[in-house]
Amino acid sequence: MPSALSNPLRLGLRQERVISPQCLVIFGASGDLTHRKLIPALFELFLQRRIPSEFGIVGCARRPWTDSEFREKMKVKLSNQISGKEKEWQKFSNYLFYEPVDLQHSDHVVRLSKRLSEIDRNQATHGNRTFYLSVSPNFYASGCKALKAAGLLDDPKKSRLVIEKPFGKDYSSAKKLNKIVQSCAEESQIYRIDHYLGKETVQNILVLRFANTIFEPIWNRNYISNVQITSSETVGVEDRAGYYESSGALRDMLQNHMTQMLAVTAMEPPGKFEPEAIRNEKAKVLQASKLADENEPWNSCIRGQYGEGGDTSNRLKGYRQEDGVDCNSTTETYIAAKVFVDNWRWQGVPFYLRTGKRLPKRLGEIVLTFKDVPVHLFESTIINPAPNQLILRIQPNEGATFKFEVKSPGSGMKSRPVEMEFSYDESFGEPSDEGYVRLLADAMLSDPTLFTRSDEVEAAWKLYTPLIELMDNSPWKLPIYNYESMTWGPPKSDQLLSKDNIFWRRP
Amino acid sequence: MKPQLTLQTPLELPYQEITNYLNELWMSEDKDNTGASTFTLTIWQPAWLEQCLVQKGLVNGPITGNLSPEIIEAAKKFILDAGLPITTSLNSEELLNLLEENLSNEDVDDFRGQFFESSISTLNPRRLITLAPTLNKKTDIKTFVSAYCPLTDTIVSQPICGDLVVIRGDSASINHKGLNIIDELFIDELPSWLWWNGSLDESPEIFKYFTNHGLRLIIDTALGSPKRCLKILDQLNKSNKAINDLNWVRLKNWRESLAMIFDPPSRRPILDHITDIDIDIAGDHIIQALFFISWISDKLHWSFLKVETDKESTKIEFERINGEKISTSIKPLALGNPGIHLGQVVGLRLISKISEVQKNNTCVILGCESVECMRLEAGGMANMELIEQVVPNSFSSSEYDVSKLLGSSRGNTSPLFENAIKIALQIFNGFNN
Repeated sequence: MPSALSNPLRLGLRQERVISPQCLVIFGASGDLTHRKLIPALFELFLQRRIPSEFGIVGCARRPWTDSEFREKMKVKLSNQISGKEKEWQKFSNYLFYEPVDLQHSDHVVRLSKRLSEIDRNQATHGNRTFYLSVSPNFYASGCKALKAAGLLDDPKKSRLVIEKPFGKDYSSAKKLNKIVQSCAEESQIYRIDHYLGKETVQNILVLRFANTIFEPIWNRNYISNVQITSSETVGVEDRAGYYESSGALRDMLQNHMTQMLAVTAMEPPGKFEPEAIRNEKAKVLQASKLADENEPWNSCIRGQYGEGGDTSNRLKGYRQEDGVDCNSTTETYIAAKVFVDNWRWQGVPFYLRTGKRLPKRLGEIVLTFKDVPVHLFESTIINPAPNQLILRIQPNEGATFKFEVKSPGSGMKSRPVEMEFSYDESFGEPSDEGYVRLLADAMLSDPTLFTRSDEVEAAWKLYTPLIELMDNSPWKLPIYNYESMTWGPPKSDQLLSKDNIFWRRP
Repeated sequence: MKPQLTLQTPLELPYQEITNYLNELWMSEDKDNTGASTFTLTIWQPAWLEQCLVQKGLVNGPITGNLSPEIIEAAKKFILDAGLPITTSLNSEELLNLLEENLSNEDVDDFRGQFFESSISTLNPRRLITLAPTLNKKTDIKTFVSAYCPLTDTIVSQPICGDLVVIRGDSASINHKGLNIIDELFIDELPSWLWWNGSLDESPEIFKYFTNHGLRLIIDTALGSPKRCLKILDQLNKSNKAINDLNWVRLKNWRESLAMIFDPPSRRPILDHITDIDIDIAGDHIIQALFFISWISDKLHWSFLKVETDKESTKIEFERINGEKISTSIKPLALGNPGIHLGQVVGLRLISKISEVQKNNTCVILGCESVECMRLEAGGMANMELIEQVVPNSFSSSEYDVSKLLGSSRGNTSPLFENAIKIALQIFNGFNN
């Protein structure tokens, strides 16, 4: 078992980039994301000594809180994380400020601007600011306009704008939103966040592919038969029914997180490890992606909705029985799609993406299955030799597994599959940072590498437009199949693959 | 990387006029372009080896201040021709003394301060001030100035123009006249760095002048006698001056490689049972190895007990919190193809004993080449659990290392280095007790 002790020789060795003096302004500071992800991530950065002394975090929301109320509320919400680090929190909380702001009221934004100037003077943050829109997506456009009108986005070198997902609800709304946001700020100022890209394991795909000689030559249609990308949750809709009813699995997971994983897996090597070079390649691969059957898109997708399930001692409600959910809801809680990437590298290789709630395991993984050997020289201990597989585990038990055939011990010459393992825990023994720690730091450092560019977002929406149109206009063509909670989705989803004589990996 | 040359020929001006000239130059420029808001870098650039080789006609001029492969090759050839041992370092005093014999006093083109590696020039320094001491001890001061606005591939919204000033003359004239104008050349609102690209033994008055002026210092403790280097570090540390040492920066690969060995949690217990550490260095300059062993002892909370030295090695004893002793040694090796920098670590052997049974113990070997690993394996090390790794020595130039510091550091002393200095001083002082 790995020891929990940290490596003493590692302490202080990692040279992290230090964030320059600035003010981080969080709109929607009374919301969940602020106390669940953003403030914990900022506190973590503070503990890592990456926050400069000239710094300020200004929470903004409609509630009429004061600085000290905001500090107190955050302290209560973060009590578990703060435990044992009270002194550090005391210092950190000096960076926290609060200003009641309704972005729909221009006088509020003008008042905020004055408050920021005052904080600039007191905290020596030199007018350097990052604005984080953690508000309802309905307010993204008006929020940007309000900031622009108050002159808060005028200096492209000193102001950045971070926008949470979902960025639009379909291709045309994303395009329209991009147009508005880009009329308020330069593209270089805009950071569209997808927290999956902040995960160490997703970034590791780039390193695995482009820092090793052995993978890239076989990372193509000549050797790979199919790719499966899975992101599964065990939880149901919980208290997010209001949001989830209008989004569903396609908009909540497939279009953004899953498609970003597809992009990172399928992209060409960038010329340089530079933000634009990487984003160019990701955009290109997404632009080359299409549903397996665009003419009859219902053949490329299976939708599902969880029903009751679980064991007798812990019976779980079905989606339609959840609080806040329409009892006739047709929102999908599961979606599986078959996608092709129309380029030289991937022509003919199916990419199967699936995501869902109330599945048996919480996990994220990318599975590359290699083609069969041309001739089977050896008998297998099981019916057929298993194809080689490279499994990249995004979460949990982050790492990678390579499955290959070896000689089964004994006098015969039978083969059997074995696994070669790499585990972050066993190799490094230290947990990696939460995605938000990395992404918040990157945004404040003006490093857009792990953020999605306008063309990427639009290409990702465009990819699923045929499905969205079907769901909107003729939903009976894309029916919702019920599946029992804590199973791997509707049985129908197996048919998406079985036509190609492929099966979902059972992780 | 190819060095970059200024497009404009530097203008020679009397040293008293430099400041006014630059002030007027920037005031007369486009109002929006007040120069890059980056940093000022002052470089002490003696380039003695290059000066000697050019004066002797062993390499073609002009003198640039860049240690090119031609210079290295010519110096190595001279070492052999002069009958010096093949192990002689390019920075050795013996070599320089020989080269300085019978030098002609012919004028050679001296372009120091006009050539910069692109790793530095791409950082768009606002002002580069080069102090270029001459070999000739009777050279009065000459000052040159040049402004530049580099062309870039991309559209930049911030000013990136800068200027450079060269102050050339013998050390005495630089000290007496050159330093008079230096103060006025620093730009208050920008950070000012000093890169002392020479031995810490030379021109102490000039070095002291800069350390008293609160500049962010970049030095190289591989240049200069260990005693003097440590004395300077001690003084700077005590007076809370920020220090960046290229000799410490070059140790990065070794520190990282050693830490990497113990990243897997299953290997961490090895650290609690270390009994011996042997470090091999190229040449007899022990500072870098002292930093290495000091860093290890600091991280593992060992206390220094005693140091002994003999012809072959320096032996240092530490004590763990539980009272167990750890023997370490630093052994200078005479290498046939010495590196540019004196005393660089070339190998480390770490032994951890948890049992009387040899095969249950662990030996970690890091070597700059597989030959070095094989050397350290000798003596039955393979009977233990053996973890070996080749750590290529850093091939980056000093200019590249400096650019990394300029680009990423705020100039303050790294806490790891600060602790290593304290322990290294304890050990060094132990020699005298």
